[in-house]
Amino acid sequence: MGILRKCALAGTAIVVPALAGPAAVNAAELLFLAEDVPAGLNYDGPAAAIPTSQTGMVNLMEPLFGYATAAPNEDGVIVPDFSTFEGRLVDTWSYDEATLTWTLNLRQGVMGCGGATFNADDVIYTFERAKSVSGAAPIGWFLSNVASIDGFTPDVFGDEAARALGDEVQRIDDYTVTIRQSEPNALFLPVLTIFGLHIFDAELMQANATEDDPWSHDYTNNVGVPSFGPYCLESWAKDDEIVFTANPDYYRGAPAIERVVMKRVPQSSNRVVILRTGQAQLVQKLTPREFDSLREASGITVAGVSGNENLFVHMNFDVPPFNDPLVREAVARAMPYDQIIQAGYFGQAERWAGVVPSSYPGFVAPADHQYDTDTDAAAALLEEAGYPGGAGLEAFEDAFQLTYVAEKETTLGPIVTAIQSSLRQAGFPVTLNPIPQTQYGDRQLVQRDLPFAINDQEKPIGVDAGYAVQLFFVSPEAGGLNNMVNYRNPDVDGLWAEARVEPDQAARDALLAEIQTTLMDDIAWLPVVEYRTQWAYSDRLQGMQWHPDNSIRFFDLSYAE
Amino acid sequence: MLLRYVTKRLLIGLVQLVVLTVAVFFLIRLLPADPISRFVGLNPSEEAYAQAERSLGLDRPVHVQLLHYLGLAPSQGTGLLQGDLGDSWVSGSPIAQEIGTFLPVTLELITISFFVAFLIAVPVGMLSATRPGGAADRGVFVYSLFAGSQPEFWWGLLFVYLFFFVLGVAPAPLGLLSPMTSEPAVITGFITIDSLLAGRLDVFLEALHHLMLPVATLVFILSGPIIKMVRQNMVRALQSDFVLYARCAGLPARRIAFYALRAAMAPSMTLIGILYGFMLGGAVLVESVFSLGGLGQYAIRSILAFDYPAIQGVVLVITAISLSVYLLLDILHAMIDPRVAY
Repeated sequence: MGILRKCALAGTAIVVPALAGPAAVNAAELLFLAEDVPAGLNYDGPAAAIPTSQTGMVNLMEPLFGYATAAPNEDGVIVPDFSTFEGRLVDTWSYDEATLTWTLNLRQGVMGCGGATFNADDVIYTFERAKSVSGAAPIGWFLSNVASIDGFTPDVFGDEAARALGDEVQRIDDYTVTIRQSEPNALFLPVLTIFGLHIFDAELMQANATEDDPWSHDYTNNVGVPSFGPYCLESWAKDDEIVFTANPDYYRGAPAIERVVMKRVPQSSNRVVILRTGQAQLVQKLTPREFDSLREASGITVAGVSGNENLFVHMNFDVPPFNDPLVREAVARAMPYDQIIQAGYFGQAERWAGVVPSSYPGFVAPADHQYDTDTDAAAALLEEAGYPGGAGLEAFEDAFQLTYVAEKETTLGPIVTAIQSSLRQAGFPVTLNPIPQTQYGDRQLVQRDLPFAINDQEKPIGVDAGYAVQLFFVSPEAGGLNNMVNYRNPDVDGLWAEARVEPDQAARDALLAEIQTTLMDDIAWLPVVEYRTQWAYSDRLQGMQWHPDNSIRFFDLSYAE
Repeated sequence: MLLRYVTKRLLIGLVQLVVLTVAVFFLIRLLPADPISRFVGLNPSEEAYAQAERSLGLDRPVHVQLLHYLGLAPSQGTGLLQGDLGDSWVSGSPIAQEIGTFLPVTLELITISFFVAFLIAVPVGMLSATRPGGAADRGVFVYSLFAGSQPEFWWGLLFVYLFFFVLGVAPAPLGLLSPMTSEPAVITGFITIDSLLAGRLDVFLEALHHLMLPVATLVFILSGPIIKMVRQNMVRALQSDFVLYARCAGLPARRIAFYALRAAMAPSMTLIGILYGFMLGGAVLVESVFSLGGLGQYAIRSILAFDYPAIQGVVLVITAISLSVYLLLDILHAMIDPRVAY
């Protein structure tokens, strides 16, 4: 090795004599390696669903509300206290039940990166833009609709006049805004914490508007997003890197880390290697095996949180034999839960005992509706369903193609193999069907024709059991949004109709608990595990905090002295 | 004569481009997924679907979409004829601008790699052919077994581990420059050229340093077939009548070798041309390992996201470059081989 090293060093010295190595990162800088960089900074634009785009938005923009923080977890990661809202751009607020109106007293003296001062005009502009549904993916409108803000109905898509903002969001004075709901809805405050309603700097947005693009979608898709967040955009090269610099005027105090370079390194193994050399200080989206390999590495901390990432089995109620409750339960009993936790996640996951993230308010785990691995019970259920030893299931071979996202082969490969092996042993003719992410998304969200699949990418960004229920389990006719398994239960629809407008929190929680028990009884989804959201970083870095969108806020971080 | 030949080839190339453009336009619409799902992930309502469909222009009949894409429907906006490749459905950015960013990275990588591979492969192939069974020949045999037995990304990862992580003589695989380096202004898009134009020798040297491992990886892979091709053609040429005649005429061995090499170069150049066209998109794994945002990575991202305009743009650009390379090769071929007539 010594000779090789000498030769290599000599070669390098000849070719690049001026280079001693990569530039060192100074104490106030952070090099963050990610699987990608933001593809867009427009939450109503085409890149809004991409997690790294959301990371860009949440570090440059500011919400009206946020959550208070709770004590750090066992890994030292600070987690939110979902029961307590904090005003961010809102200073104080009140709610009038009689008129369903929220009065928001806005924070004064908040400065944006462009030098603009935050006031009511920025809030009005943000809701006007959301209601214009002018972007490719109108998330702002969607969240306003979910929160029952008056006038944000589907009518806006067909009727141009309905797109104008009326008095439902009203400017009272420079620092007071009122927002009226169409019905009582507990999702109002949770929704206003989500990136899809963060506040724009109206002045700069309007300065970058054009006749063809009055809402500055091109600008936010490609150039930047003016707001009042903790960081300002220094430079942005799509598919390469984005550089943030601290906003010195940030109202919560200037960020401790003055400059953050978020660099795209597509190979997770390279992110590991670069972190280990100390040239980068923070990495994300490694495989469970890679996180595990870093746990003992010197100078590196691996930390995580059981937040809202999970894995479940998707069985389509419209596709036989998954319309048979006995078959569904047999699959549940044949599932190798412990093997998945150990082989798939290296122990960094726990059994998921419900269908809502267990960290969310309102989560329940019905004790008498849990399905442990029991192959004898699975065989008995199959026999009861008319398929003794799996005989007769060969007629449903297409339905038993276990579909998963091909791009996630490294993570999901060992898991689907374990499931296939366990289910075949029980008599199910399971085959594997990896397909591209976009095709998976199309079949799951639009066609809704995936018979049997494994899914690790559904995390309700609205932190509320009711939001999750409405998103995934309510039938489309009753206002369901993303019912990918075509689950229809009039009882659940009816209970949700009550819970949605129930103003009393305890009564609402009771209704949501009943819904969750029914969902577990019907095995609407087959919950498998909740896996930890993890990061690996320099042990000098402190303040790591988890947020429900799983995007890191650089403002939370600082270096230990 | 040459001008007529080049004009004829350019016209044929243009027809090929048009046919391919139309074929790709229809073929990608046969892909088994609807790109709209990406837009409605958080909001899969019918209204949102219709909105996304409208925003992508997919609500119009296919022939109208084609006319718009080709630039033959002025009422729908600009298209190819006006030099507009459309906007990406992933990022919203103009495709021409994105390709203009990614293409130079790939061209820089593969051009340098081919240049180095050529410099190594031709003398090694010659040596191997002129002394069959000699050390060089045996070395080539072992190397071709070795290099060809593993894919390029495996070699790339191995090189990163060895030269960056273990030996510390190569930079981290973080693209063409360290993230903390301030880049020179973009003039041509080629970092080595732009840095020199800006008088930034430090950046030029850093870019070379960062290119060291990806180029070494590609050279390691590309040299094998080029050496083999040069060697085989040299062996064949050395056995030909004109070499026998040259030997009988008492010409010096070096001159004979030069004649044989000239005869061997024509098919070797053809191989290099084909490989060059292939590597425009085929360097994707090396680009990925070394975090180089090149055209291959852009193509893969576009395909996985069913980003129709970007896929069409990439195919068009790769085809145009490949056709230009083939044309250039034909001209070189004629210069090397006097038997070729236009």
